[in-house]
Amino acid sequence: MINFDNSATSFPKPPGVAKAVSAAVTRFGGNPGRSGHRLSREAAAKVFDVRQLAADFFHAQVENVAFTPNCTYALNMAIKGVAQFGGHVIISDYEHNAAARPVYALWKMRGVDFSVAKSGNDPEATVAGFESLIRKDTRAVVCTAASNVTGRIMPYRELAQMCKKHGICFIVDAAQAAGLVDITLDDGMDFICAAGHKSLYGPTGTGLLVSSGRYALSTIIEGGTGATSNELEQTGFLPERLESGTLNTVGIIGLGEGLRFVKKTSPERILRHEKRLCAQFEQALSQMKNVVIYEQGVQRVPLTAFNVGELHSEEAAQRLSQMGFALRGGLQCAALAHRTLGTTDRGVVRFSPSAFNTPQQVQALTNAIREL
Amino acid sequence: MKFTLVSMTSITYAMKAKKLLNARGIYCEIEKTDKNSGSGCGYSIRAKEPPQRLTALLDELSIPYKSVSQVQREKRL
Repeated sequence: MINFDNSATSFPKPPGVAKAVSAAVTRFGGNPGRSGHRLSREAAAKVFDVRQLAADFFHAQVENVAFTPNCTYALNMAIKGVAQFGGHVIISDYEHNAAARPVYALWKMRGVDFSVAKSGNDPEATVAGFESLIRKDTRAVVCTAASNVTGRIMPYRELAQMCKKHGICFIVDAAQAAGLVDITLDDGMDFICAAGHKSLYGPTGTGLLVSSGRYALSTIIEGGTGATSNELEQTGFLPERLESGTLNTVGIIGLGEGLRFVKKTSPERILRHEKRLCAQFEQALSQMKNVVIYEQGVQRVPLTAFNVGELHSEEAAQRLSQMGFALRGGLQCAALAHRTLGTTDRGVVRFSPSAFNTPQQVQALTNAIREL
Repeated sequence: MKFTLVSMTSITYAMKAKKLLNARGIYCEIEKTDKNSGSGCGYSIRAKEPPQRLTALLDELSIPYKSVSQVQREKRL
């Protein structure tokens, strides 16, 4: 099966990831940060190496990188950590449910108000849309760096500056952007939430919450951290404050190899490769009269949202699956984005290549789409 | 031989301290804190540097620590 569903999780992974995971299982079996024996210290040293790699990648202090099970956890921890006790939050109309649902849950259960900012045709209009919604009690702005449905790149740098001007915390969902576009704390973000298993090429079960250190988060999960163990109060300093319970050492060590792969290949090169594949794909689709491509004119990360004739997107994806191609149909867990696009009823089919896809594979897929 | 032991707040800070101090040419190692009371992470960094110099460097690097002590050890570790 050829995987064009890399926005859900990249596959295949770089060969080094499997080797690292194997080594983690067979050699680094201690519990990092606990116990203090050699096994524990060796595992802790490996985890620290990956933490440092991630810190360098996002231009963060090493202690401000917390490992999470995925980007959704990172977003929950950041959003609720900033706003769970009241106030107002602004999100975009392209948010994944990973950001929208925690905000909605805060509204429903805690009375935290929220607004949805409409995206404009240009960055200035989008930023102005967010800015017009700011209130005295606005605690945070949450925005995806790139839509997981269409790939639309949001003006995250400009939003970061706008938030800084107003003294509001800015949380960015970098699930689809990290590893492809330049996104670091230097851009002014307060929190970067990232998936380790997408364009950072780590194993599933890995995510990152990268903090600027400007905002202290209240916690949504407490427990053993290996530090301040005689106190009932949750550990106060990072990263341990946000890492209760035993870490996913195996996944984290695998993520380290994913990060090394991205760094060695370079995000720019991977982006170029995937953009070429998308251009090839969209060029072929544009020859098919019954195919519609969404948001072709906007700046996007390399993924393509499309529909074929009157086929429901789930049906189209199912047929392609039977022909040996993995693509995602439906709503891609992004209710707001589909409301914005007007595609809630049928969803879209999403084509998302990775560093390992080839032009020949794209050609084979376009041939298959012609047969739908 | 006299060593300085700095009890650290977390394994992450212990490793960060080791990395940054080593980069400055100060050899240090991480070891389990003796008779840890449970109030720290249970890890210390050990170096031959005098306590004042070590803590001044940690302060400069913004690395928190819990306490500092000097120990006499017969065998080179």
